[in-house]
Amino acid sequence: MTSDVGAERQGAPPLVVLEHITKRFPGVLANDDVSLDLRPAEVHALIGENGAGKSTLMRVLYGMYPADKGRIVVRGQEVKIASPRDAIGLGIGMVHQHFVLVDPFTVTENIILGNEGQVVLDRQDAERKVRELAETYGFRVRPDAIVEDLSVGEEQRVEILKALFRGVEILILDEPTAVLTPRETQDLFGNLRKLQQAGKSIVFISHKLDEVMQIADRITVLRRGAVVGETTPANTTKAKLAEMMVGRPVLFRLDKPQVEMGEPVLKVRDLAGAGKLNGISLDVRAGEILGVAGVEGNGQRELAEALIGLRTPEEGEVTLDGTPITGWSVKDVRNAGVGYIPEDRHEQGLVLNMTLWENSLLGRHDDAEFSSRIGVLFIRKIKELAERLVKLFDVRTRSIDVNASTLSGGNQQKLILARELETDPKLLIAAQPTRGLDVGAIEFVWKQILDQKAAGRAVLLISAELDEIYALSDRIVTLYEGRITGEYPPDAAPEDVGVGMLGGATQEVAS
Amino acid sequence: MASGEVAPPVAAPRIRSEWIERFGGQMLALVASLAIALAIGSLLIVGYGESPITVYGAILRSSLGDLDGFGYVLAIATPLIFSALAVAVCFKAGLFNIGVEGQYLVAMVTAAWAAVTLDFLPGPVHVVVILVAAMLGGMIWAAIPGILKVKTGAHEVVTTIMLNGIAISLLAWAIRSPLKFTSGPTGQNVDIRTDNFPDSALIGDMGKMFGIGPGAHLSWLFPLGIAAAIVVWFLLRRTRLGYEARAVGTSQGSAKAGGISIGSTQLRLFLISGALAGLVGMQQILATTGYLGSNYVAQLGFTGIAVAFLGQNNPIGIVFAAILWGILSRGEVALQIKTQVPREFIIILQGILIMSVVITYQIAKRRLAARQLQRAGAAGALEDSAPTVEPEVATQGES
Amino acid sequence: MPLTDIAVALQIGLTYFTIIYLTGLGGLYSERSGIVNIGLEGLMIIGTVTGAWGARYFTETVGLGNVWGPILGLLVGAGCGLLFAGVHAIATITFRVDHIVSGVVINLVAIGLARFLSQAFFGQATQSDPGGPHLNPIDIPLLSSLPWGLGRAFQGLSPVVIFAFLMVFPVWYSLNRTRWGLRLRSCGENPEAARSLGVRVALYRYQGVMLSGAFAGLAGAFLAAEIIGNWHEGQTLGLGFISLAALILSNWNPVRLMFFAWLFGFAQAIPLRLNDAPVINLLPPQFINMIPFVVTIVAIAGFVGRVRPPAAAGRAYEGGGSS
Repeated sequence: MTSDVGAERQGAPPLVVLEHITKRFPGVLANDDVSLDLRPAEVHALIGENGAGKSTLMRVLYGMYPADKGRIVVRGQEVKIASPRDAIGLGIGMVHQHFVLVDPFTVTENIILGNEGQVVLDRQDAERKVRELAETYGFRVRPDAIVEDLSVGEEQRVEILKALFRGVEILILDEPTAVLTPRETQDLFGNLRKLQQAGKSIVFISHKLDEVMQIADRITVLRRGAVVGETTPANTTKAKLAEMMVGRPVLFRLDKPQVEMGEPVLKVRDLAGAGKLNGISLDVRAGEILGVAGVEGNGQRELAEALIGLRTPEEGEVTLDGTPITGWSVKDVRNAGVGYIPEDRHEQGLVLNMTLWENSLLGRHDDAEFSSRIGVLFIRKIKELAERLVKLFDVRTRSIDVNASTLSGGNQQKLILARELETDPKLLIAAQPTRGLDVGAIEFVWKQILDQKAAGRAVLLISAELDEIYALSDRIVTLYEGRITGEYPPDAAPEDVGVGMLGGATQEVAS
Repeated sequence: MASGEVAPPVAAPRIRSEWIERFGGQMLALVASLAIALAIGSLLIVGYGESPITVYGAILRSSLGDLDGFGYVLAIATPLIFSALAVAVCFKAGLFNIGVEGQYLVAMVTAAWAAVTLDFLPGPVHVVVILVAAMLGGMIWAAIPGILKVKTGAHEVVTTIMLNGIAISLLAWAIRSPLKFTSGPTGQNVDIRTDNFPDSALIGDMGKMFGIGPGAHLSWLFPLGIAAAIVVWFLLRRTRLGYEARAVGTSQGSAKAGGISIGSTQLRLFLISGALAGLVGMQQILATTGYLGSNYVAQLGFTGIAVAFLGQNNPIGIVFAAILWGILSRGEVALQIKTQVPREFIIILQGILIMSVVITYQIAKRRLAARQLQRAGAAGALEDSAPTVEPEVATQGES
Repeated sequence: MPLTDIAVALQIGLTYFTIIYLTGLGGLYSERSGIVNIGLEGLMIIGTVTGAWGARYFTETVGLGNVWGPILGLLVGAGCGLLFAGVHAIATITFRVDHIVSGVVINLVAIGLARFLSQAFFGQATQSDPGGPHLNPIDIPLLSSLPWGLGRAFQGLSPVVIFAFLMVFPVWYSLNRTRWGLRLRSCGENPEAARSLGVRVALYRYQGVMLSGAFAGLAGAFLAAEIIGNWHEGQTLGLGFISLAALILSNWNPVRLMFFAWLFGFAQAIPLRLNDAPVINLLPPQFINMIPFVVTIVAIAGFVGRVRPPAAAGRAYEGGGSS
C-alpha cells in the first residue's frame, strides 16, 4: 500500500475508522482487507473503476451488508452496524445512486417518513422544519412539491435532507454526479462545502477524476477490492490517479485492421423523440466503427433502441443501405440485417430462465431454418446452432441445456455476441458491450468487433468508456443531451473529446 | 474495467442436467406440500373425533376402490383439466386469465344455442359443431380482455373479473329469453332452463365400455381433455408460438429486443385459452344433464386456477392434479355416509392443499434461484452501480 | 311512475351502498398498503355466515336483547372476516405468494368454509332459519320527512347505513392525516423507500389486509343479519366483485368511493323496483345488472380518465417477512 500523504490536516482524531474490512460474495472478493479512516469535516473521495468495491465498502459501513472480517470504529468506540437504522443511529447516512423516494408524496412527507415525531401529522409544522433545515445548509427545495415533479438535482437534495433530518454527521454519497448536469454538479459541490463548514464529513464515491480533484480533501483509490493508494489533490494528478485506478497507463490496444471503407450503411437524420433524443444525425460506413462517446444518461439507450426498432422516434429518418427503416418493427429491422448488443443484457439480451439453446434462437425464431411454416420448432437444428455458437465463442458452460442465468456475465455477453454475429449483420449496434466484464472477456469482445470491421461490416459503438472508444473507433462523435456535439478523429486528445461529452463543441459536426 | 469475475468450472463429466434438478425440486415440493396439507387435515379430523386413517381411507376407497367411483373421479376431473389448461396457457405468457369462469359460461350459452337450434344435424356432426360453437364462445369472451390489454394496457385481472360478472347476467338472460324452455308448461315450479338437447347433441357415455355405471357420466370428453393436455404441451414446448409465449412470460424486454411482438403473442394466447375455457362446461350440459339451466355448476373457472397451480402450470401435471382434485371431491360422499366429518371438510382440505402447494413452490423457487446464483458467481449483479438489492434476490422477477 | 317507487329504490340503493362501500373501504386499506385483495367476496361470505350466527346467538342464547345482540353479531362477522383475511396476509406477505392466486383461494375456500360453519351452527349446509334478529331500523331525521313521498327513502334504515356514511371521515383522516396512514401508503407506493427509513412494511401490510377482512366481514354480517334476516348460500351475489369495481373506479380514494358505491348500489336496486321506468323497461333486467361491470371496464381501458393503483400493489415485495 503506497501512502502519499502530504501535509497533515490539523491533528483531528478520525471520526470513523474501517479496519481490515473483508467482504466476499459468491465468486467475488469485493473488499480485500480494506482499511480507511474518515476525519471530521472532511470530504473524502473514494475512487475506483466499476467493480472496484467502493459501493460495497460503504454499504458495509451503512449496515447493509455484514463484513466477513474486520471492524468498524466510530468516535473511538468499536461498533457493530447491523442495519441502516444502526448506522443512522451512529450519525452515518447514505444517499444511493438510485434514489428511494415515494413519488406521489411531497418533499416533506418523504423527509419525515418514519420519523414523523407525532401520531397526527401537522403539515405546516413539518414543512417549516424542512424549510429551516434546508436553509441551514443552503439547500434549495420546495417543501410542498410532489417528488414526481422534481428534477434529478432536486430529488438528490431531498435524499440528502432525509439524512440530515435524522441528524447524521457523516454523509456517504454514491456516485452522486452520475445523473447530474454540470451546473447541478456545481450546485451540489456548493452544498457539500456548506455541510463541511457545518462540521459534517462526506464520503464521495466516484470514478470521475475531474470532480474528485475539485472537491476532495483526501482521496483513497481502490482497485479490485483493495486499497492501492491514499493521497490528496495537491499531491497527485489525474494521470497518476488513473494509473492507480487501472493498474497500467493504458489498457491495451489491439491492431485495428486497415479496411477500405465503403458507402454509408447507416444514415441517421435528425432523430428526435423518446424524451431524450433531440436531433441526432450520423453516418456509419461499411468497414467503419463509429464510436459514440458520452456520459450515461444522455440518450445512449434511447438511440440504440430507436435504431433497432424498440422505440418509434417522433421525428427523423433512419436508412439502412438506402432503405428507410424508420419506425420499423424490431423483427423487420433485424431481418434487414441489423444486429443488436443491448447495454442491459439481462433486460434485453437474454431470457435468463430459458436454456442456452433457447436463447440462441432469439431473434431468429421466424427463420425457416429453425421452424416449419405452421410453427413446429426444429429442436435439433436449434441445438446444433447453439453448440456451434458456444464452441466458436468459447462460452464456458456445462451444457447447452442449462439456464442462461448460470453463466457468468462475460459468458452471457459472449453468447449474445455469438448469436448476433452469426447472422452476419450489415450493421451491428453495440451498446456498452463490455460493461461488467473482466479483461479477458473484454479483449475477446473487442476482437470480434474489429473482425466485423475487417469483414467490411458497419459497427455503431455506443460506450461510456473512453478506453473502449479509443481502442475501436475509426471516428468518434460525442453525444450530449440527445445531440451530437462533436466529431473527432481517432487520435484526438481525450480532453477535447471530454469537452464534447460535456456539451461544448470544439469542431464542426460533420453531417 | 475489472470486476473480479470467476468463470464457472469447466464442464464436469457428470451429466446431472438442470432439467432433472428443476424437476426433482418441483416433485419434492409437491410431495412435501401434499404431506403438509394432509397433516393439517388430520388435525381437523381428530377434532371431530375420527381417525385420519379412517377418513382418508374412506376417501380413497370411494374414489379408487371401485370402478364406478373412479368413473366419477374422472368425470369430475374432465372440466377441470380444460379449465386448468386454459389458465396455464395464459400464465406461461405472463398473463393471468381469471376470466375462465365467464368464458365457459358464455360458451355454454353458445353451445346451448347450437344444440337447440341446429337439431337437424346428425349425431356426431352436431356434437362437433356444438363443441366448435363452445370454443368460439370462449374465444370471443377471451378476446375482449386480450384486445383491451394489447390496445389500452388494461390489466387483464380486472377486465376478466368484470367480464365474469357480465357473463353471469348474460347466461341468466339467455336461459330466460332466447333459449327459454318451450317444450312444456311454464309455471312457478319449473326450473329456469333451456329445452332438453336433442340426442344428437349429447356426448356418449364412455364409461359403458369399461364397466362404469351411467351415474358417473364419464364421457368422451375425458380423453379429449387428455388430448388437449398433450396438444398444449406440444404447443408450449415445440412450437414457435409456445417459444414466443414463454419468452414473453419470463422476460418481456429480451423478447421484444429479439423481435417478438408482445401484443400479438399475448392475444393469440388469450384466444387459445378462451377456446380451452369454452370446453369446460361441456361435460355438464352435453353429458351429465343434457340442458343448460339455472342450476349450472359454477366456480369451475376458479377451481381451474387452483388445479393449474396444483399442477405447477404444467400440462401433464395438470392432468394429475385434476384427478387428485376429483379424488378428493368424490370423497365428499363417503365422508357424509361413513364418518362424522362433514363433507365440507373436503373443500377446506382442498384449500389448504393449494395454499400449501403455492407456498412450498415459492420457497423451492427461491432456493433454486439462490443456488443458481451461487454457481454463477453473481453474474454481473455486483457492479458498483447496481441498485441497493442483496445479491441473493437479484435475479428474481420471473413469473 | 310514482315517486314512492323511486323512493323505495333509493332506500334499497342505500342498503346496497352500505355493503359496497364498507367492503370497498376494506379493500382500500389493503391495496393502499400494497397487497391486492380480490378475495373480498370470500371475506364477505364469511361475514354473512358468522354474522348471522352471532346475531342469533347473542340476542337469543345469551339474551343480550335487541341492541347488543345484533351489534355483537356484526362484530363477530367483522372479527371472523379479519381472521380469515389473516390467511391471505400470511400467504402474500410472509410467504410472498402471488396476490391474485391467494385471493382466488380465499374465494374458493370461503364457499366451502361457509357451508362447513353453517352445518355446525345451524344444522343445515346452505341456509339458516329466517327471521333472525336485527337492530331496530331508524328514520333519518329531517330527510325522512321529505315531501312527495321521497322521505320514504330515508325511513326504516338500519343504523349501520349511517355508520357506513360516517366511516368516510375516520378512513380519510387515518390515511391522510396520521403518521400511521403516511407509513401505510408508503408501503403501497414504494416499499423500498419505506424500508430504508425503518418503516416495518410487513407490519403495515398485515394491518391493511386484516382491516380489509374486518370491513368485508362487517358488510357481510350486515347483509345477512340486518337486511335479509338469515344466511343462505350465494346471498352475496357478486357484491364483493362489484366493490372491487367501485374501488378501482374511485382510484382508491375513500371519498370518491362513496360516489361509486352509491352509483352501483342504486344500480342494484333498479332491476328490483324500477323495471317499469322509461328507458330501463327496454332493457332486460339482467342487462341492468351488468352496468357496474361494463362501466368499470370502460373506465380502466382508458376511455374515461386514468386509474392509477398504488405503485407497489401486486408486486410481492422482497423482504416482507421481517422488519
